[in-house]
Amino acid sequence: MSRHISFLIALLLAGALANAQTTSGQSEDVKALLQRIDQLEQRVAELEAGKDTSTAHLQDVKAQDAQIPTGQTVEDHLSSQMHDERSQNVRAAEPHYPSMQLHGFGDVDFSSTDERGTTSGFTLGQFVLHVASPLSKKVAYFGELSFTAQPTSYTADVERSIIRYDYNDHFKMSFGRYHTPINYWNTAYHHGLWLQTTISRPEMIRFGGRFLPVHFLGMLAEGNIPSGSLGLGYEVGLGNGRAGTISRAGDNGDVNSNRAWVGRIFARPTAVRDLQIGAAVYRDKITPIPALTGTPSFGEWISSAQIAWTHETPELISEFANVHHRNNLTGTIYNSQAYYVQLAYRLPWESRKWKPYYRFEYTHVPASEALFSVPAFEVTDLVGSTAGVRFDITDFAAFKWEYRHTKHKPTDPPVNGVFVQTAFTF
Amino acid sequence: MARTATFWLRFTIATMALVGATLSFAQTGQDVAVIVHPKNTVDNLSMADLAKIFRGERQYWRSNMPVLVLLRSSGSYEREVVLRNVFHMTESQYKQYWVSKIMRAEATSPPTDLFSNGMAKEGVASIPGSIACISASDIRPGVKVVRINGHLPGEPGYPLH
Repeated sequence: MSRHISFLIALLLAGALANAQTTSGQSEDVKALLQRIDQLEQRVAELEAGKDTSTAHLQDVKAQDAQIPTGQTVEDHLSSQMHDERSQNVRAAEPHYPSMQLHGFGDVDFSSTDERGTTSGFTLGQFVLHVASPLSKKVAYFGELSFTAQPTSYTADVERSIIRYDYNDHFKMSFGRYHTPINYWNTAYHHGLWLQTTISRPEMIRFGGRFLPVHFLGMLAEGNIPSGSLGLGYEVGLGNGRAGTISRAGDNGDVNSNRAWVGRIFARPTAVRDLQIGAAVYRDKITPIPALTGTPSFGEWISSAQIAWTHETPELISEFANVHHRNNLTGTIYNSQAYYVQLAYRLPWESRKWKPYYRFEYTHVPASEALFSVPAFEVTDLVGSTAGVRFDITDFAAFKWEYRHTKHKPTDPPVNGVFVQTAFTF
Repeated sequence: MARTATFWLRFTIATMALVGATLSFAQTGQDVAVIVHPKNTVDNLSMADLAKIFRGERQYWRSNMPVLVLLRSSGSYEREVVLRNVFHMTESQYKQYWVSKIMRAEATSPPTDLFSNGMAKEGVASIPGSIACISASDIRPGVKVVRINGHLPGEPGYPLH
């Protein structure tokens, strides 16, 4: 009996010791093989270093190896082999141009709300393909294509298409269609919903929304600002701005001759890992289509501030934006505000698979707002809460369950909804 | 008789497991050296700088030469040390980090995975701008060892082990 106990203790000790040295999920076989490769390489290095000893070994090898051509010495043959191996190793290490990386994203959703006129059921989320390809040491291309289910077919959209020329870390210039660097969420999370903790994007920056311009067509300069441990960075863009349909960017040309511009500055201090604090300004002239009575255009100033700590224990993302519109016909000024605060925490149990979250969001648009109050360009007030949990079933697939309580205008009834999503990347 | 044989069989297995675990423990004590191309002018990096380089937040050397990060493949001791001390991530978090980074158009690819220290050494010796981490015992001529926080591997206070 005591023998069995000793045996058990010994095994447990061995297991515990071994477990302490290895990360879960890593194969011992792979480790052993890698160590074996290292040992063999060391042996090769020793052989290379000592020609005298190697000559003696080579005679033995010569006797055993009938494949070696008779005119060539064994030493030359092995030297040539080593050279070939070195060349192969270097080729494996060096980058190749172009070399396309393709990632796909998808999601399947279920929703049920008590809003009048809606039905519950499953929906197929966006199917997204993302490509990245270095074209040379300092030139790279990025593209994002989405397929969205419609009642009778699918629509394909080029969400992003960017060619970037790098000079160094302080100056990178790119051209194309971006996610507007107007806030954190829009640049950190794109159309692949697996990337974001929650099912839905915040209302202020949702796809198809009108409060902030999600997409931007033009040119963008970006880089790091020498600032030591403060980790400052910048983004400055010039582009077409909003199209006549203000939820879209002017992909096929500007709707007016005024360019929009955007500037953003952010800090990623080295003292607090995964923390980003930033602020942005956006300037545009909006020419709505269909035109409003009197054909006014609107000067638009958007200012925003954001803080994001994506450490996961906890995760905190909070953003604020003020949209300032000036009716160029009457000179009347309107200010609308929106903000959200999202908190999440990756639980330590069960291999850190569970991540509960909560988000509060708020949007206020003055009732007299000349653009946002028009049905074709409408943005409504919102007070909403979202609570949910994310379960990462694998490294690249997650389930999310979400409850939302939202209230728009004071006269509108509150809406409650339950949403389920499985999102993945491949 | 059969019980005695079973006992010795179990004892042998347990002993082998203990020896294996001890050997594994012994390897973890090794310092991991950061190596660059001999012509690279960098002599010393802080841990914060090293993290920025490996996380793809700093993609160019001061001479405007692109950084090429070479990393040992999954399962190797050197990778474990880098993930733990430089990335502060698990293997899963590391993979997710790079999918996100590429999706944000901040990088075109994750660091190049190499199967052996020899491949890393030869890559660094041949490709200007490359940087890799290998066991200090595997350092050979042809590469330059960079001080981390002012320390070389083997010196007290060296952070990568």
